[in-house]
Amino acid sequence: MNIIEELQRKRAEQMTRRYVLKRSGLALGALAMGAIGCRNNKLSQLSATNYNAAKLAVAKAKQVIFLHMAGAPSQLELFDYKPLLHKLDGKPCPDSFLEGKRFAFIEGVPDMLGPQFSFKQYGQSGSWVSEMLPNFSSIVDDVLFLKAVKTDEFNHAPAQLFMHTGSARIGRPGIGSWVTYGLGSENDNLPGFVVLVSGNSIPSGGKSLWGSGFLPSKYQGVELRSKGDPILYINNPATISRDIRRHAIDAINEINKESYDEIGDPEILSRMSQYELAFKMQMTVPEATDVSKEPDYIHEMYGTNPGETSFANNCLLARRLAERGVRFIQLYHRGWDSHGSNDFENLHGGFKERCQEIDKPMTALITDLKQRGMLEETLVVWGGEFGRTPMQENRQGLTNPFKGRDHHGDAFTMWMTGGGVKTGTTYGETDEIGYYGVSGNIHIHDLQATILHQLGINHEQLTYPFQGREFRLTDVHGHVVRDILA
Amino acid sequence: MTCHGGVKAEGGLSFLFENDVYKETKSGNKPIVRGNSAASELYKRITSEDPDVVMPAEGARLSEEEIEVLTAWIDQGAEWGVHWSYQQPDEEGIQEELTDWATNGIDHFVLNKLELLNLQPTTEADKETILRRVSLDLIGLPPSAKDTELFLADDSDSAYEQLVDRLLASQHFGERWAAVWLDLARYADSRGYQKDLLRPHIWRYRDWVIHAFNQDMPFDQFTIEQLAGDLLNNPTDDQLLATAFHRNTMTNDEGGTDDEEFRIAAVMDRLHTTFEIWQATTIACVQCHSHPYDPILHKEYYELFAFFNNTADKDLPSDKPTQNLLSPIDRKQLTSIKVKIDSMRLEGDTVSQQFKYHLANMEKLMPGPVQIMQELKDTFQRETHVFERGNWLVKGESVDPQTPSFLPAFNDSYEANRLGLAKWLVDDDNPLTSRVIVNRFWEQIFGKGIVETTEDFGTQGAKASHPELLDWLAAQFKNDYKWSVKTLIKTIVMSSTYRQSSEVNEELVQEDPYNRYLGRGPRFRLTAEQIRDQALVVSGLFSDKTYGQSVMPHQPDGVWNVIRHAATWKQDTTSDQYRRGLYTFWRRVSPYPSLQTFDAPTREFCVSRRINTNTPLQALVTLNDPVFVEAASALGKDVLNNGGNSLDSRIAYMYKKALLKEPSEKIQQTLKAFHEQVNEISNLTEESNELDEEDIWMNMASVVMNLDEFIMKN
Repeated sequence: MNIIEELQRKRAEQMTRRYVLKRSGLALGALAMGAIGCRNNKLSQLSATNYNAAKLAVAKAKQVIFLHMAGAPSQLELFDYKPLLHKLDGKPCPDSFLEGKRFAFIEGVPDMLGPQFSFKQYGQSGSWVSEMLPNFSSIVDDVLFLKAVKTDEFNHAPAQLFMHTGSARIGRPGIGSWVTYGLGSENDNLPGFVVLVSGNSIPSGGKSLWGSGFLPSKYQGVELRSKGDPILYINNPATISRDIRRHAIDAINEINKESYDEIGDPEILSRMSQYELAFKMQMTVPEATDVSKEPDYIHEMYGTNPGETSFANNCLLARRLAERGVRFIQLYHRGWDSHGSNDFENLHGGFKERCQEIDKPMTALITDLKQRGMLEETLVVWGGEFGRTPMQENRQGLTNPFKGRDHHGDAFTMWMTGGGVKTGTTYGETDEIGYYGVSGNIHIHDLQATILHQLGINHEQLTYPFQGREFRLTDVHGHVVRDILA
Repeated sequence: MTCHGGVKAEGGLSFLFENDVYKETKSGNKPIVRGNSAASELYKRITSEDPDVVMPAEGARLSEEEIEVLTAWIDQGAEWGVHWSYQQPDEEGIQEELTDWATNGIDHFVLNKLELLNLQPTTEADKETILRRVSLDLIGLPPSAKDTELFLADDSDSAYEQLVDRLLASQHFGERWAAVWLDLARYADSRGYQKDLLRPHIWRYRDWVIHAFNQDMPFDQFTIEQLAGDLLNNPTDDQLLATAFHRNTMTNDEGGTDDEEFRIAAVMDRLHTTFEIWQATTIACVQCHSHPYDPILHKEYYELFAFFNNTADKDLPSDKPTQNLLSPIDRKQLTSIKVKIDSMRLEGDTVSQQFKYHLANMEKLMPGPVQIMQELKDTFQRETHVFERGNWLVKGESVDPQTPSFLPAFNDSYEANRLGLAKWLVDDDNPLTSRVIVNRFWEQIFGKGIVETTEDFGTQGAKASHPELLDWLAAQFKNDYKWSVKTLIKTIVMSSTYRQSSEVNEELVQEDPYNRYLGRGPRFRLTAEQIRDQALVVSGLFSDKTYGQSVMPHQPDGVWNVIRHAATWKQDTTSDQYRRGLYTFWRRVSPYPSLQTFDAPTREFCVSRRINTNTPLQALVTLNDPVFVEAASALGKDVLNNGGNSLDSRIAYMYKKALLKEPSEKIQQTLKAFHEQVNEISNLTEESNELDEEDIWMNMASVVMNLDEFIMKN
């Protein structure tokens, strides 16, 4: 494989020279160094001005695991305890809360809805957690709660797009794409941005949530499928053994080398190294994604069943991928949309089941990362695309058959841990009914700016030219929330 | 421009509009006093030694030379220029002159530039290479066996032109160019957004596009019918069908979303798409504020928006208005079958097999409800307002349809609606349209536009590599070719520039790494569709059926399991599964994997340029995707059946099938060695796992079908 390494180096040199000449920097420089297959694609190694400007002195986190609860879990049933809502339960919502508001489904005057589960304080921090998360309540001191996160959108698809791409409209790169575009991958043989999906289907925002938008397509998130090939076409057809494949790629590249000698197009060298990488990925991906070899105590801890599509399996997979240097690991767990219009959307039905599905594995993930000494460099983020209303939903002005709440973007809870954030504390506070943030508001663009900051990227400098202007994840907004940094 | 442009005008100064720079700014000084640099604030600022005063405020000082140029410009009267692409081309002033090397005008301009750079054109590509190249360029497929035989056997001077003419007349011509247009038209078989419901009938618009290219519909007519076919006098069904072009916008069916919000999003998309396709002008940013770099005002955006803001569609769950329409081909066929049936009826023959056959065929040719454009009548017309800071909930002053002032005035005789706008776009006076369109076709053939940013001819776009060539070709297209796309394409591929070999030497790589100056032939990767189509053709699996509804070739289980309201992917089991990639069912939330891996867009928005990437996932597609494995397997069987009995003859047969030429000695050796390795491995394994001859040749074929030369247009 010496020849391949040599070719790769030669190719990289050519690219670097080219792009220094071009000076347009980030865009082209990054094209040369893919998210896949370019180790240490660090900002500092690229000479272009944008890169240097985007790079901060210190990166606290090396990687991110983002646990997105698609459908939006109710903060009022999990973390944001509001005793006053007990008293208001069943009473009509005061007009002042409704004036000038746009809801997805509430019409007319809905009733207030009290907390549906009991709450207790846990740990040194005295953080409130409901009875829905018995395991998670034991590690609250390792967690930072953000109680007053705010979004601009109140429908699923736009709000998810907003959370992940910084824009409510389809067509912008996802945060994982931005990050791998900026930092590259730490692992030659795995994609830099991996997506794991559980729940009944993919989130409303669709694959655009991890699309590369206007960034080159190599930065799009690679979905690891839980059934069939983990990555499409990663496995050889039945009649092709790994030995034969090895020889086949050698033959292809030998002839390609001949073409290069004759034609002189550097693109040929690039193709040769991509074939070599494909071969390596064919080995590493199945190995990395095979959770069955994990010891029993790990399976017990996470509640995993190998071969299943579950949030638990995905949490364990996330740890394995993090261990192997995958830069951005995005989990989606779907089914949180508790409107109360049917049992699946019932706080005492589907919601309760979702809580059971996440409680043990997400607790295990944090414990496991901590035990392995990985938590410091891994930023874990948890949250939905928005929160839920303190009112009970009354679709078409009628009372819904089950207990549920409408979409609510003005204040909701997220949590973070690892990656240089302050833990064992709560930041931000909502009013007495959990309707608006009264202190420590964090807008989605602030959250994104802060995540990039922890990875050592200045969110105002990581840009890409498109349709006549420089685009960035945080659009023209966003402030790093320094108060929550350790 | 960042500080003194259309968004930020620091200190009250913007350099975008001529009038602004002679007026006093906030500081009370005049930035530029014509003919008097000493009195001009601009001069003081760029020459000042005071760090608080000097401009630019950030970054390096201007060089002495730059200062001299600016000073001289002010002293000579500070004449304000117009950005090149907004000027009328000087059609008289450009004359081509033919030298020995030149076949047509293109070569004159290319050679001039090469000579300036002390470069030489490369020799002509060999016949096999040019045959494969021109076939892929014109019809998107490798040449047919017949074309290969005819062309390679014909040594006359006219052989190449005859080949080109045959390709231009092929039914596959329209398919190849429709694939390009459909990216611009953001055509898909689904509505987009969360539910991404299907549009099972809109393929008839796709067929309209194929048909239009095959008929060589003049591009001005092609423009008018798609933008405003419904507003023509007594529009034909085909003209109505053409307007589905702008109904390819997305419809949001998510519960709880505001229909008006997404109606407006669709109307804005129509405006952005129109200006990107025909004017290469990025206008999306003007939704919120005046253009930061180009001379377009916030208000002018909404005056353009007003042209589109009057259609009946409004993000409805029914996706209406729709009209039951036949595709142009189905309509033609139906007419001819009806004639046959009628005449048979007259003859009293209503029981024969043939009659029944015609009847059955007629029943298959059903119209379907296609989303079309429909203008609101008089009292229902919408009033258009400026949206303050782009927010549709905050309405400002009301505006009427009008074109922006940096472009030629809207002819008063034109209707103040989409039809008028379409006419204005293809008006003789519009300096952008012919340049922009010619550049798009050029890019497809040479891999890069004469202006590399095909989507942006504004001040932030790239400069033309051959400005005179662009103007000459644009004038030819509009005036001499009467907007004939086939004539334009023929001119390009007949040029000596196009017919050069794509081989490069060290010097050429150094001097012109991207082949911007065209001192060699084009060499770049095939498009996603072409990679699929080529594999099918070479393997013999290919179905050359043209037109018709979208098909579902093999796709791994679960790929479509994306949303709650998912329709199912039902694989076609007939030969339809081997139809061209162009016909593959295109669902926006889940595009066909192998196409997407090779950089096909999702078609949610207009995409001018697919950015070619080179990734390991692509290798996995051509090595392991069952479609490609099946193709390799079919080619392997073909070799065993028709490639003779010796290893040498089989390898030669296979290689020639794929790349039209004989393998070199080295390639022959490499493939033989691989054959031996596979054999050996097979013999070492247990008997049950032994590979048969067909397996071995599937592996052989797979190697050839993964070669760089095969994936590239050479």
